[in-house]
Amino acid sequence: KGDYYQYLAKFKCGDERKEAADQSMKTYQNNTPESIQPISMQTFTSMMNEILNPSTPKSTVSSIFKTLIHSLLHSPESHHSQILKLIADLSSHHPSLAQLALDSLQSMLPQLTDPPSQLTIEYLDALVNISERPVEVDDSLFTSICLAASFPVRLWMVRNSGCRVMVRPELLYPVLMGMTKEPYPCLREEALEALVRLGECAVFEEVSLVKGCYERGVQLLSDNEDCVRISAVRVVALWGLMLASFNVDTKTYWSNEVFAMLCSVVRDMNMKVRVEVFNGLGKMEIVSKELLMQSLSKRVLVLDQSPTEQFVLLASNVAGALVHGVEDEFFEVRKSVCQSLRTLTVLSVEFAHAALNLLMDVLNDYKVEVRFQALETMHHMAINHCLELQENYMHKFLDVLEDNSSEVRFSARKIVRLMKLRNHLLFKSTMDVLLKNLDSYPQDEADIFSVLSHLGRNHKQFVDLIANEIADEVEASFEGNREFNSARMAALLVLSISAPFLNADVCPIPPVIFSFAATFLSRICCAFSDVMNRDTLLEYLIQKSSSMVQPEVNISNGEGQNPLAKDDVQNVAGNEMIHSEITINNGEGQLPLSKYNVQNVALEMKPPNDVGQHKRPVHDSVVLTYINYILVKLPNIWPKVQSCSANEVLCSLRHWKEELTSLTFDSSAPADASAFALLYLKIIKLVVEVWDHLVRKTEVVSGTVELEDKLEKLDGRAKELMNRFIGFSAEEEISVLELILLTYTLRLCRSEICSRNFIFKRMTIIYLRTESFLKLRSDVASGFVAELGSLIRESSNGGASCSSLAFDNCLKLFSPKRLMIREGIRHRRAELSIPNNCPDYPLPFAPGLTASIPCDITIHNISSNCRAWVRMCINDGFTQHVYLDLQSFEVSGEVRKISYAVPYYRTPELDSFNLKVCIGLESLFENVTPVQAHGGPKCELVLLCEEKIVYLSRVL
Amino acid sequence: MAIETLVLGAGQEVGKSCVVVNINGKRIMFDCGMHMGVSDHRRYPNFSLISPTGDFDTALSCIIITHLYCINTLFLRFHYFLIIKISHSLILYSYIFFFGIICDSHLDHLGALVYFTEVCGFHGPIYMTYPTKALAPLMLEDYRKVLVERRGEEEQFNSDHIAECMKKVIAVDLRQTIQVDKDLQIRAYYAGHFTLFEYLTLILKVLGAAMFHAKVGDSEMVYTGDYNMTPDRHLGAAQIDRLRLDLLITESTYGTTIRDSKYAREREFLDAVHKCVSAGGKVLIPTFGLGRAQELCILMDDYWERMNLKVPIYFSAGLTKQANVYYKMLINWTSQKIKDSYPTNNAFDFKNVCKYERSVLDTPGPCVLFASPGMISGGLSLEVFKRWAPFENTLVALPGYCLPGTVGHVLMSKPPKIELDPNTKIDVRCQVHQLAFSPHTDSKGIMDLIKFLSPKHVILVHGEKPKMVSLKEKIHSEMGIPCYHPANNETVSVPSTVYVKAQASDAFMERCLKPNFKLHKCSSQELSIKTLTDKNIVPELQVINEKAVFIVEDKSKKLKVVHNDEVLVMLGEKKTED
Repeated sequence: KGDYYQYLAKFKCGDERKEAADQSMKTYQNNTPESIQPISMQTFTSMMNEILNPSTPKSTVSSIFKTLIHSLLHSPESHHSQILKLIADLSSHHPSLAQLALDSLQSMLPQLTDPPSQLTIEYLDALVNISERPVEVDDSLFTSICLAASFPVRLWMVRNSGCRVMVRPELLYPVLMGMTKEPYPCLREEALEALVRLGECAVFEEVSLVKGCYERGVQLLSDNEDCVRISAVRVVALWGLMLASFNVDTKTYWSNEVFAMLCSVVRDMNMKVRVEVFNGLGKMEIVSKELLMQSLSKRVLVLDQSPTEQFVLLASNVAGALVHGVEDEFFEVRKSVCQSLRTLTVLSVEFAHAALNLLMDVLNDYKVEVRFQALETMHHMAINHCLELQENYMHKFLDVLEDNSSEVRFSARKIVRLMKLRNHLLFKSTMDVLLKNLDSYPQDEADIFSVLSHLGRNHKQFVDLIANEIADEVEASFEGNREFNSARMAALLVLSISAPFLNADVCPIPPVIFSFAATFLSRICCAFSDVMNRDTLLEYLIQKSSSMVQPEVNISNGEGQNPLAKDDVQNVAGNEMIHSEITINNGEGQLPLSKYNVQNVALEMKPPNDVGQHKRPVHDSVVLTYINYILVKLPNIWPKVQSCSANEVLCSLRHWKEELTSLTFDSSAPADASAFALLYLKIIKLVVEVWDHLVRKTEVVSGTVELEDKLEKLDGRAKELMNRFIGFSAEEEISVLELILLTYTLRLCRSEICSRNFIFKRMTIIYLRTESFLKLRSDVASGFVAELGSLIRESSNGGASCSSLAFDNCLKLFSPKRLMIREGIRHRRAELSIPNNCPDYPLPFAPGLTASIPCDITIHNISSNCRAWVRMCINDGFTQHVYLDLQSFEVSGEVRKISYAVPYYRTPELDSFNLKVCIGLESLFENVTPVQAHGGPKCELVLLCEEKIVYLSRVL
Repeated sequence: MAIETLVLGAGQEVGKSCVVVNINGKRIMFDCGMHMGVSDHRRYPNFSLISPTGDFDTALSCIIITHLYCINTLFLRFHYFLIIKISHSLILYSYIFFFGIICDSHLDHLGALVYFTEVCGFHGPIYMTYPTKALAPLMLEDYRKVLVERRGEEEQFNSDHIAECMKKVIAVDLRQTIQVDKDLQIRAYYAGHFTLFEYLTLILKVLGAAMFHAKVGDSEMVYTGDYNMTPDRHLGAAQIDRLRLDLLITESTYGTTIRDSKYAREREFLDAVHKCVSAGGKVLIPTFGLGRAQELCILMDDYWERMNLKVPIYFSAGLTKQANVYYKMLINWTSQKIKDSYPTNNAFDFKNVCKYERSVLDTPGPCVLFASPGMISGGLSLEVFKRWAPFENTLVALPGYCLPGTVGHVLMSKPPKIELDPNTKIDVRCQVHQLAFSPHTDSKGIMDLIKFLSPKHVILVHGEKPKMVSLKEKIHSEMGIPCYHPANNETVSVPSTVYVKAQASDAFMERCLKPNFKLHKCSSQELSIKTLTDKNIVPELQVINEKAVFIVEDKSKKLKVVHNDEVLVMLGEKKTED
């Protein structure tokens, strides 16, 4: 007994806590339980402090835990709720103990269930709080609690059933149905709420069950208590829909019934009930047209044809339901009506027209929320093609564009974007309103421009009509230079340049407009951001302005020289003009300006047009030829490299690279080829740069680090070239191998490099490969390869003996081959995405426990015998690899997909950390050294995608 | 036991609301109005029917006044006064005219009160809502003056009587339950109706109509007074709880009308005004007073705010400040919108409305002017009208009804010229827009209220007979609720609910506290067989209602409720006794 107090005292004072706790724990356990006094209030408080303090050692926490559990068994019941609360807190702060707490509480539970009391509920509550998953309760316990005499006990059970406490639906359903007859209103309410939850998750196959529940809900719609009615409305909406969906034949009938039932409570005096009703109406899937129309009229409608029996019965219930909702005093209700109209208008076109009338009235509402919601509904209607604004509505609608709430304005403009205006006058007035808008709300400029560009694109014929007026106005202001910079000018220009956008044919927009527009480029480019970026817009503008000036000349120039895209003579001709401008600007005059070049640029111009305009398929062969044109030029520039004019070469290389990047649009075969070509060019570029360093022997100190860096990069790129592409033809293969040999040679030329042996080894392997390959094809090795071969044979004992000079000689012999790519090349690549992860929404993890990282992985052109890994690096450099079983991927052609939760084992004791994740493939070419001894890949990894950063944060 | 309803006024007619209800021996008088169409004794309800001896104190428990008056009677009552020809000096007459009408009609619901309490001698409590109490003495005094000083009639009561009467009045707040005596309790619910009255240049808006719920013992009833189910911009819809009613007495003024959404009308109005203003025209809105004007002001202020219009709105009535004070006092009686915005900015502090000054009349450029009185019957509105009417871009928006004989009424037929008097003719080239409006509930509203309350019986008052009949048929056929429309001085008796008191045994009580159903379990074996035989999962638990209750009448004639377990025991005892 005394020991126990001592233990408690030590606890409080905090010194030597651990020892004290341990010691007293022992003595304490030896004590007979009867001798224990109940824990005092102060002790509770100090325990609470210990628990909440994160620096409390684990052992102390666990001994507190033991004490608590122990005292739970031996202290009077009045203390139990306190103790349970402490246990719940403790487990939430120290998740490691949660399972233990759960087990011990669960074991105590059965003793308390007969008869169920408040205490039972406290136990269950603690259980539910500790456990993150819903707690499963066995049938007998559940029924005994539900039938308990005490009202709060029943209430707790009903409230938590179905969400935090799991009970079989077959048992839950009858109990809840019985509960709906309880005399206590809050029990009825909770029972109905539980039925809603049940209806959402469980599936019932028995029609009578669903029908019974629906009818019970209908009965309770006339309950005296507001809260019960609210829940009853929800039950009716949910279970009614369930009932309707049972049978396809009677679906309409039942849906109508549910609709009418909900409408009949629309005039409830409680605002929340009304809101709930309209929320329910918004879920309807099918309602007959007559009833929908009836809901818009307070008078009972007289139908043309003889009405169905059902309609006669229901009409008076439904009459004017939506009108009442729109006229409601509370904006919450009005908002909810607008939302429900969103789904209802989809059901019938005729109704949509009629409802539009109602929505037009709502646009006058004094609450921004309601107006906004109405506009959103109209936008929704427009998307579903059931929005048809008549002229008289149009006037009202245009007023909304001038609303002083920015949300409302934006929403209204969203609708304008989708609109198809009937006649010229409407178009003009819309345009005027938008221009006026620009004056009154300059902050909306970007959005208004974008709307105007949509407007222009959708109504080309009307823009044509006013084109000349615009042109006059613009020109006048340009000449006078008065309001040259005004937003109005920019807006007019946006409108006029957008009109011929989808229609490349001749239009009456004067070309000068386009050149004016070019001066506004930065201001107006956002208006077209949905179809093109700034640069393409500029090109478009230049093309339009110039092609219009000298159309005849261009056509005659273009015709003869355009074997690639004969169908598009005019277009290319237009492009050609610009091409000449561009090349002059770039100062590339010294490059041999072959006719290919002309076509290159023509092609380069094509892709943006393709995206913006009608999808003109770029033929694979065309792209390939184009790539080859570039590659063909490589041997030609090599002499320049050797003659130390690297800068010049680099410049043209860079230019080609840019051209290639602009090509990579489609994801088909040519993309693979162009990716290859791009990489190839990059390597060449690096080679040239390194070459420059080595050959010229520029002994700049600062350059060495740079050089090292570049060599490193070159090495990586070379590996990539080898591993990430498959399906080479022999010729291509040899070129690639030669290039790789070259990179090694370059590395060996650097005498300082210490790992020469290693590199030499690798080079030997590659060389042997090349040799065997050449032998197979009985080809003659190029001078470079032959020289290298003799060098390798000489120094068979190790590359260390060779001087760098010998390699220098080799280098001089190198010249790139004429490389022609064929279609067979496939790019091995992968796409990795981690859904729902960004710095703001990190993934959870618990330190020390495995964290799972959900990844969506797509890999291309990788056969199943390859070995792929997911590599995860933490900032401090520790790397973990996880093997990807390629068999388990979904295969479709050359693409494999999987959604895979990658486990990360070594989660650190940090609040948050970042992981760099990427996918790698084991390189089969150079299995020289195993990279990692255990668990990881056996060979070096070639990365197939960019590293993705995953954000993780600790679970609190 | 029964609820007896004696209709003293407003039975199959409009005006003179007065209904006496006898619930379980308690008699309550709802409203105490007078009929202005007649000047003889029929003006007052026939109080002798309540108590032939004149001892009203014992006969009546209390009087409840729902609100001051209703506007529709104003229109109905016009007929009586239109005999006055207004061909010349219209301006002079219209004031008198108004004076008379307004004072006449606003006493629908309490006109006879003073007469009844002071002259007939009733000393029991009188209940009315705070706004009604605040204004009642004012109006009664006006009324007395009209009767005595203008019409030269014999004085029925004097000012002292009014003061005495007001002392007996107890004010009630919304949803406040008042225990009148041991058995009777009453509660007021918001009815959403409002009234306005205009007294020379003094314009006030009167709110505070209420529905009254009365409960005696177990019987409950609701008397609606005038109410409105469709919310306004500044007044909410009627609000009431769902009650277990034996009787609902409801007004039925618009028993057959179904009003369309007023949104459409508002939209047209705003469109017309906006169009006119943007074309540089002037808009004249002649209004009754602050009541309707207030609503239009809120509407237009919102619109101006939304559209960023800079055109000035002028308000001629000088009482904006008083109205504000008034509304602040009675914020509970206004609509949700005003309540919502009240803490941040008072809805009646209009941002775009400024005070009228004379210079406005000749200032060029567009503007909107609210001018009183309505119907362009004289004063400022007529003056402005004379000036602006000859211009084509002027718009005259007439909110509400215009009396025949006023300029407003003539204007509705859009004549090219209006002759004010032989010397004054006005060229009318302006546009005219009419805005209809009424604060009464329509038949849909009545039906909705009845449906929501679902009382056992309905009595219709305050309406014209044919309308009442058709509404009665409708209620009967659609909802199956018995409905009556008694004429004046008729009595309708409906049965009332009486709960029988019974002693409950302990066992019964215990059972009642527990859920009254039992679950029967199938054995798990059975279940497994079942699931094997058919795939449908049959709920293995079935609910059996176990509410077997026996009512036993023992020797002492006391009722006793016992549980069925006990019945056997009792029967056994009885047997042994026998």
